[in-house]
Amino acid sequence: MLAQALVLMAAAAVEYNRDIRPILSDKCFACHGPDSGNRQAGLRLDLESTAKAELRRKFPVVAGDPDRSEVIRRIESDNKALRMPPAYAGHEKLTAADGAMLRRWIEEGARWQKHWSLIEPRRPQPPAVKDASRVRNPVDAFLFARLDREGLKPSPEASRATLIRRLSLDLTGLPPTPAEVDEFVQDRADDAYEKVVDRLLASPRYAERMAIRWLEAARYADTNGYQTDGVRDMWRWRDWVIEAFDRNMPFDRFTMEQLAGDLLPKPALSQKIATGFHRNHRTTAEGGIIDEEFRVEYVADRVETTAAVWLGLTLNCARCHDHKYDPLPQKDFYRFFSFFNNVPEKGFVYNFGNEPPFVKAPTAEQQKKWDDLDARYQAARNEWSASAPARQLQQREWERSLTAKPDQDWAPREGLIVDRKLEDVRFDGKRAIDLGTDVAKFNHRDPLTLAVWVKHDGKNGAILTRAEDYWEGSGYGLYLVDGKLRFHFTMRWTDLGMRVETAQPLAPGQWHHVAVTYDGGMKAAGTHLYIDGREAAMKVLFDQHLWPVDHKAPLRIGAGSGLGFEGEIDNVRIYKRALTPDEIAALPLKQSLTGIANLAERTQAQQAKLDLAFVDTFAPDAAMRKAKAGLDAYVATLPTVMVMQEGPVRDAFILKRGAYDAPGEKVTAGTPGELSPFKPEWPVNRLGLAKWLVDRTHPLTARVTVNRYWQMLFGTGIVKTVEDFGSQGEWPMHPELLDWLAVEFMENGWNVKGILKTMVMSSAYRQASKPTAELMQRDPENRLLARGPRLRLSHEMVRDQALAASGLLVERQGGPSVKPYQPPGLWNELAGGKDYQADKGEGLYRRTLYTYWRRTIAPPSMVNFDSPTRETCFVREGRTNTPLQALNLMNDVTYLEAARKMAERMLREGGDSQAARLRYGFRLLLAREPSAGEASILARTTDEFRQTYAADRAAAVKYLAQGDAPRDETLDAAELAAYAGAASLILNLDEAITKE
Amino acid sequence: MITRRLFFSRTATGLGIPAIATLLNGKGGLAGLPHFAPKAKRIIYLFQSGGPSQMELFDYKPKLVEYQNTDLPESVRGGQRLTGMSATQSSFPVVPSKFQFARHGQSAAWVSELLPHTAKIADRLTFVKSMHTEAINHDPAVTFFMTGFQIAGRPSMGSWLAYGLGAETEDLPAFVVMISPGQGGTGQPLYDRLWGSGFLPSRYQGVKFRSIGDPVLYLSNPNGFSPANRRQYLDSLKAMNQLKADELGDPEIGTRIAQYEMAFRMQTSVPELTDLARESPATFELYGPDSKKPGTFAYNCLLARRLAERGVRFIQLFHRDWDHHGKLPEGLPKRCKETDQPAAALIQDLKQRGMLDDTLVIWGGEFGRTVYCQGRLTADDYGRDHHPRCFTVWMAGGGVKPGVSIGETDDYGYNVVRDPVHVHDLQATILHLAGIDHTRLTYKYMGRYFRLTDVHGKLVKDAIA
Repeated sequence: MLAQALVLMAAAAVEYNRDIRPILSDKCFACHGPDSGNRQAGLRLDLESTAKAELRRKFPVVAGDPDRSEVIRRIESDNKALRMPPAYAGHEKLTAADGAMLRRWIEEGARWQKHWSLIEPRRPQPPAVKDASRVRNPVDAFLFARLDREGLKPSPEASRATLIRRLSLDLTGLPPTPAEVDEFVQDRADDAYEKVVDRLLASPRYAERMAIRWLEAARYADTNGYQTDGVRDMWRWRDWVIEAFDRNMPFDRFTMEQLAGDLLPKPALSQKIATGFHRNHRTTAEGGIIDEEFRVEYVADRVETTAAVWLGLTLNCARCHDHKYDPLPQKDFYRFFSFFNNVPEKGFVYNFGNEPPFVKAPTAEQQKKWDDLDARYQAARNEWSASAPARQLQQREWERSLTAKPDQDWAPREGLIVDRKLEDVRFDGKRAIDLGTDVAKFNHRDPLTLAVWVKHDGKNGAILTRAEDYWEGSGYGLYLVDGKLRFHFTMRWTDLGMRVETAQPLAPGQWHHVAVTYDGGMKAAGTHLYIDGREAAMKVLFDQHLWPVDHKAPLRIGAGSGLGFEGEIDNVRIYKRALTPDEIAALPLKQSLTGIANLAERTQAQQAKLDLAFVDTFAPDAAMRKAKAGLDAYVATLPTVMVMQEGPVRDAFILKRGAYDAPGEKVTAGTPGELSPFKPEWPVNRLGLAKWLVDRTHPLTARVTVNRYWQMLFGTGIVKTVEDFGSQGEWPMHPELLDWLAVEFMENGWNVKGILKTMVMSSAYRQASKPTAELMQRDPENRLLARGPRLRLSHEMVRDQALAASGLLVERQGGPSVKPYQPPGLWNELAGGKDYQADKGEGLYRRTLYTYWRRTIAPPSMVNFDSPTRETCFVREGRTNTPLQALNLMNDVTYLEAARKMAERMLREGGDSQAARLRYGFRLLLAREPSAGEASILARTTDEFRQTYAADRAAAVKYLAQGDAPRDETLDAAELAAYAGAASLILNLDEAITKE
Repeated sequence: MITRRLFFSRTATGLGIPAIATLLNGKGGLAGLPHFAPKAKRIIYLFQSGGPSQMELFDYKPKLVEYQNTDLPESVRGGQRLTGMSATQSSFPVVPSKFQFARHGQSAAWVSELLPHTAKIADRLTFVKSMHTEAINHDPAVTFFMTGFQIAGRPSMGSWLAYGLGAETEDLPAFVVMISPGQGGTGQPLYDRLWGSGFLPSRYQGVKFRSIGDPVLYLSNPNGFSPANRRQYLDSLKAMNQLKADELGDPEIGTRIAQYEMAFRMQTSVPELTDLARESPATFELYGPDSKKPGTFAYNCLLARRLAERGVRFIQLFHRDWDHHGKLPEGLPKRCKETDQPAAALIQDLKQRGMLDDTLVIWGGEFGRTVYCQGRLTADDYGRDHHPRCFTVWMAGGGVKPGVSIGETDDYGYNVVRDPVHVHDLQATILHLAGIDHTRLTYKYMGRYFRLTDVHGKLVKDAIA
């Protein structure tokens, strides 16, 4: 409201985009706008052509003649039945001022304009300013010219101490050290300020500071969200973001790699990792969900996020119907949707790690080790190949020797955990052999082989199981159903497990050797059934084997899942690995090794058995196997990251009312028609989409991006609604400045550090933040920027600053997420299961952007300070001021420990007198000296605390026992406790959590 | 709402720190609210998470005995989509309730033997037997109930109320949440978003009162730091902040000072609230043996009354573990035992204290359960899948008509045949009872005026006294 009042003060002629569209959009478009589905009375006011055309013998808008304009008549009508907007339209009413404005606009000719943000930005000429002495760059020219018009003056420059703290927090997210402050304060060079700016922009801390806002926009987290909220690993993507900011990757490239890195020619691993951006959305593993419903939800999330982050448009409003305010028909949503619709993914995801598609994403260091191990393995393999002739000779000799010796046999031994001969045991459907609960406890990621001889009587039966006693009982087992061999591996029969069976039945009344192998890959495709040594054609009955099984039933021969077995079973073999087809083929062979050696002609299976036995007996491949095992074991530890991939094209449709199961017209991929054109030379896929977004003619990407940076520095965007540049968004406070910055950004090669430097080099940024009483009245939100920004620190800075000032901060870039302090029980009380376990050591003191983020139970101290929850894309920076924040800063162990460590620094580094020490503590956080008044309050408080703790040393010791960091035992406990109390006080000052 | 500008003018005239509107959840609420005289000044929502079975508790279906073990006719199922858990099921055998029903009170309401205490207060309750929802799985369904939308990101019901109406107290939050697990069970997880503020400012989020550690996070002073220390500390903090406020004239500093004072008051008011020492033995007896055990539903119900007495606007309880896909005859009685007596006690207690007339209490879950058996149907065991098409909630107190039953389901208890009540309808009615026109409590975000009921919701007129 106030911002609008300010606009009016400066307004001369009525301008449609600034003065009229906001009224029409907010009050009229819902029924008389772009949404054809809900258009009332056939009236469309968002287009000039229809608004001025005759409609039922009336004219909605008659240029120059408000009294003949039906719009005005209806707005001004005394008749409730005729008056617009109607009473039932809800929310806010059209004000008299709005009505007067519309009347004036029609009087002045009722001129329409295309919506400002959809017009390609051009670089405006910086205006002349009355007092040019304060203008350092065009940013100032635009802002100060506006102040001239308002009859205001910019504020004086802030003190050096204030400036360096402001800059350090803004550009690195951490406060300056006292030494850095001193250096700047004493530097009399003309470019002293610029040197600080350059130093901060070059710091690796800059990248971490920039990354966190991007992570929030990208809804980055360490868990899947939704009900079961399983874990995922996306930190390699997070580190990619940090590295990109560190290298000052141009924003157009930053965009292309994240949206379409996989579609670039010969993409590097880093470019694939970058595409993790659009795998950061929430995913669900809730039992019973409908796969397609959620797959569609994921794609829609990508549309919504892309639109919010790059376009600043609420494209998601067109998901169920045409957009009610912006020229975005529903079809545009689904054409956009189509770009993201071809990922080979499922709606129901894995709950215990990354869901395909994902890639191994080693760090540079890990890649080196991987290459080393691989080279070692390749060398061993070459050696193995080279030794083949010699080995063959050896084997032939061995085979000859076999014929001369007593009969010898062999079967695969490696990984064998059960080998049971039954010898003529007959099963009658009731009796079974129980092998106990300690054996063969396989789980969903464990490879296995079950192999056994059976002779069945034609009835359904359980051959070999570890499964509870009801049909499809929890566990695994090999069965005969209608004569067919079946394998089940079940967590929950309803929806979690795998069921496969052979295409052909097994003849009853005769012995067959049957086997199943499973590779631990959670897919039926990794499962094979064998009959009599040969792989059998297999039918997949159910394939959602994603969850560990809590084995309750024992291993049983001849029973399980509520079935018994009728017939005979023999030679039960269980392996904790998936045998190869050759190994399986060797099992049912009747001939012993000696027998085969004596044959002149051997079948392939027979020869394979000899080969396998030879290698097994003499282990000539030991070196190669060891190298392979080492390689495999290492590769298994490497981090992965979920990425985008183009699978087969899925048809996309307009979904009626947005419902996944109500497809309408089929659509192809494309960008909204009202925005800049999609050039024919671009591929119609995500890569083309990315190129379109960063094309010089694109009206939105650059504006939206610089606006977010502006918000980051000045607290509020030039367009306050940073996520909505549409009709319902706020008119830009400084439209020419926004365009100038956008064009500057693009023409300077999308240089992020460059545009930030331009902003912070301005005089406007350097102003003192102290408001005058007049300014507080005229512009309480500081939209005109006649003073510097004064804002509460963002959530991560509140914590990072405390860690930095106390010396606890551990600075290390990247790596898996860490778990700092959190009150116990939070996870358990909401979700049951394992509670949060805070790290020991370093993990407690890393920068907050590395904090482990569980979406459904976000870190409470971050949420207290207005962090987004990371469930969906969020780009607006919120700042509230609540008593929970007060409790958090006073009593959370994070800040108590930081206060204690700050106190130790005050005592050790602050000088000899109490005054000096308190001054030092003040400077650690606020970068300035305390005033006399402040110093005396601090001193008094410290004295009082000292008295309390001297009288009760036990209390002092308790108070100092907060947190894991050891206390400096050389310091007197009462003394240290008094200073710790003082340090906590400083940490809790309004100024401490405020960027001045 | 007192704007910053107004605030500034007051401080500038030397009034010092005023009663600030934006304290915790805002004492003041929005200008123009309530839209009309509220019938309920406060609301206690006893949410039963997981989906309690309407067929075993309230929706008596005698014909099911006849249909027992027959397949649910396709004509009744009517193409209803199934969850991924029963979609693979080959048959859908009807299973009647194993538990007996009887009529209770003058209203002759059907209540199951599992809820003897609820049965006794049946005349005070308004049953809605024709609730229906759109979601068929927990996460979207609970999110839908609490925020009016299946996907995360919108404000919860309590946040809307806190935003619109503010609190009646300056010592406690306007919106409090308490959680109890099903004892021995695990139950479906809950999520912060169910009491989150969505796109509303975060100060409107529900404040969780916990049964372990501090009742409110970070409430207690650290070990070795006495209340006297804290008072000294806060005095000094205030003095130093005041120096800054005098220097800068930024009203935000005044707000900060007030927030620290409120934090200090909470350090007293919350322990006082959770100290049950002065509750009478009769009260404990009323709420049952669990009521002395922190973290139980009974304890939370008793606390809910104490919060209501102190002017908390919206008190949201969650009791978990009603998701009986299998072993329903074993699990359901346990949940009933945990909740029946305390819920009934809360109604009686509010009544005897004269608070029931302006306190609205709601009991119910996110969906119902299927008439057909899920999993093995044996002589004494069965389970039921999620069912969105009908289920029962009850309301009592502030402005609802006692002793009536609204809506009806078919003989299978599968479809609503009379007076359907959608989740948005219930939400609209709850807001109405709190004095809010649900179409007019809006917040503009991403260019749109959002509301709890999205673009739907009609009042359940028959429920309103």
